[in-house]
Amino acid sequence: MSSDILIGYTGMVSFGHSVFFGIGMYGAAAALLTVRPPNLWLALLYGLVAAALVAVFVAYFSTRLRDIYFAITTLVFSQIFYVIIFTWTEVTGGENGLTFRQPPLAIPGVPSAAFTPVTLHWFVLGVVTLSYLLLRRVTQSPFGMVLQSIRENEPRTRAIGYHVERYKIVAVMLSGLVAGLAGVLYAIQNKFVAPDFVFFVVSGEVVIFNVMGGMGTLVGPVAGAAFFLLLREGLSRFWTEYYLIPVGIIFTLMVIWIPQGLLGFAKRRLNQ
Amino acid sequence: MTVSQSNAAPADGRGGAPILRTEGLTVRFGGLTALDNVSLAVPPGEIRAIIGPNGAGKSTLFNCVTGVLRPTAGRIVFEGEDIAGLPPHRISRKAIARSYQITNILPGATVLENVRIAVQSRHHAWNLLRHHRSYADVLDRARAVLDAVGLRADEEELAANLSHGAQRNLEIGIALATEPRLLCLDEPTAGMSVAETRATVELVRRIARNLTILIVEHDMEVVMGLAQTITVLHYGEVLAEGAPAEIQANPRVQEVYLKT
Ligand SMILES: Nc1ncnc2c1ncn2[C@@H]1O[C@H](COP(=O)(O)OP(=O)(O)OP(=O)(O)O)[C@@H](O)[C@H]1O
Ligand SMILES: [Mg+2]
Repeated sequence: MSSDILIGYTGMVSFGHSVFFGIGMYGAAAALLTVRPPNLWLALLYGLVAAALVAVFVAYFSTRLRDIYFAITTLVFSQIFYVIIFTWTEVTGGENGLTFRQPPLAIPGVPSAAFTPVTLHWFVLGVVTLSYLLLRRVTQSPFGMVLQSIRENEPRTRAIGYHVERYKIVAVMLSGLVAGLAGVLYAIQNKFVAPDFVFFVVSGEVVIFNVMGGMGTLVGPVAGAAFFLLLREGLSRFWTEYYLIPVGIIFTLMVIWIPQGLLGFAKRRLNQ
Repeated sequence: MTVSQSNAAPADGRGGAPILRTEGLTVRFGGLTALDNVSLAVPPGEIRAIIGPNGAGKSTLFNCVTGVLRPTAGRIVFEGEDIAGLPPHRISRKAIARSYQITNILPGATVLENVRIAVQSRHHAWNLLRHHRSYADVLDRARAVLDAVGLRADEEELAANLSHGAQRNLEIGIALATEPRLLCLDEPTAGMSVAETRATVELVRRIARNLTILIVEHDMEVVMGLAQTITVLHYGEVLAEGAPAEIQANPRVQEVYLKT
């Protein structure tokens, strides 16, 4: 599922698509577990609204940052989200995930029927095709042209009167919606959700080391790794498995306040 | 030659309120004072030239007026409202536009799209579902602008493929497309051939009928031919202000700048 059509259009890279996917997945699960009888459209609605809300939140913070920092921040959000899912066992089922029943295919005016493998296939294909067509139209709309203009020349786009941040927020929201939709479809298809789909830690830690320490300083990543591990050890004593939440917050603050990293920051201080 | 209004008429314009006024405008970059207590007033409809040696602060003045820079001190009053420190997109919406000393266009978009997107910033910008080419009002206006700057025949060309001179005119076209009442042109003829320069001077004179123009230019022939009033900046300060003939005759200006 090409959830990055819009991301590609604005020139923003996001690590955090797993978050939106996961939110869509768990949103759908929430609808299917709490509402009796399970309703297909309600699952879709819950998943999409949840994904859109989280996307707006993520977008608000991350569109203030450019390029790599944008990517990193989205990654951090995916980490925080993962930990919440993993540890909030009563609600999310934790590591074991959640199992639920598949809703019937209920099209207004047509008697509802349980999904067969064939109807499920056509349903997914239909939704995917529709959203693809919709997204393609969006990229060619006046709004989509503004996104392309931002990618081509952001300062000039501002200078001719566009509030660039607002356009970026809506772009992230849309791409979050698409990823959320993919999550919903996944949940309906598999009757099962689990935190593994939101997981990004291994590749993520390396990037975190880099940014914490200071990119382009060679020893920076080593310092960053040391700092990260110290932080983890220190915090996990008090916060146990929730330690990634304060780590994520500290990390986000660092990206915002000292984007040059620890070493870069120390160097500047010493030179003053 | 435009010598219609030859009297000096500094600061306060001619009777009517100035469309743009700066009061004590100051910009410091660390220890460097790029603009030092600059006060000037531009009456509506005027072509005002800003001249001065390299590094005098001309582009910095434009950056303040268009919101790229927040002044260290001072006010910028446009149509009676203080706009100092507003972000660029807000200032654009107040009807101030600019062209850049270093060409600043959308190189990967067509000539038409460069201008169309600027027109669109005032019309239908938030529509997500209609095709951008389906708005006849936006397209008509964009094509009228291309006609005005002489680029209508190249509308489907990529902006990056235009000649330098044509890109300079596209710069002006993008600015015009936002329907400004004040247009700031930063060295519009820089790097142009003699023939291209002449055409651009004609273009500026034509568009000046409907709006106020601030123009930074090093080509004195262009300045003398277009401007009704000239402000001379030197090390960020206003060294002199007056009609072209007066500025040409001013010994201090000759010393620091004209020295022909
Ligand atoms: N963003 C900036 N940061 C630091 N110094 C700056 C900045 N912008 C301009 N300056 C300095 O301010 C002074 C005025 O620059 P400005 O670009 O306004 O000159 P100018 O009159 O436009 O010159 P030119 O004729 O070369 O275009 C110069 O000394 C320049 O180096
Ligand atoms: Mg300049």
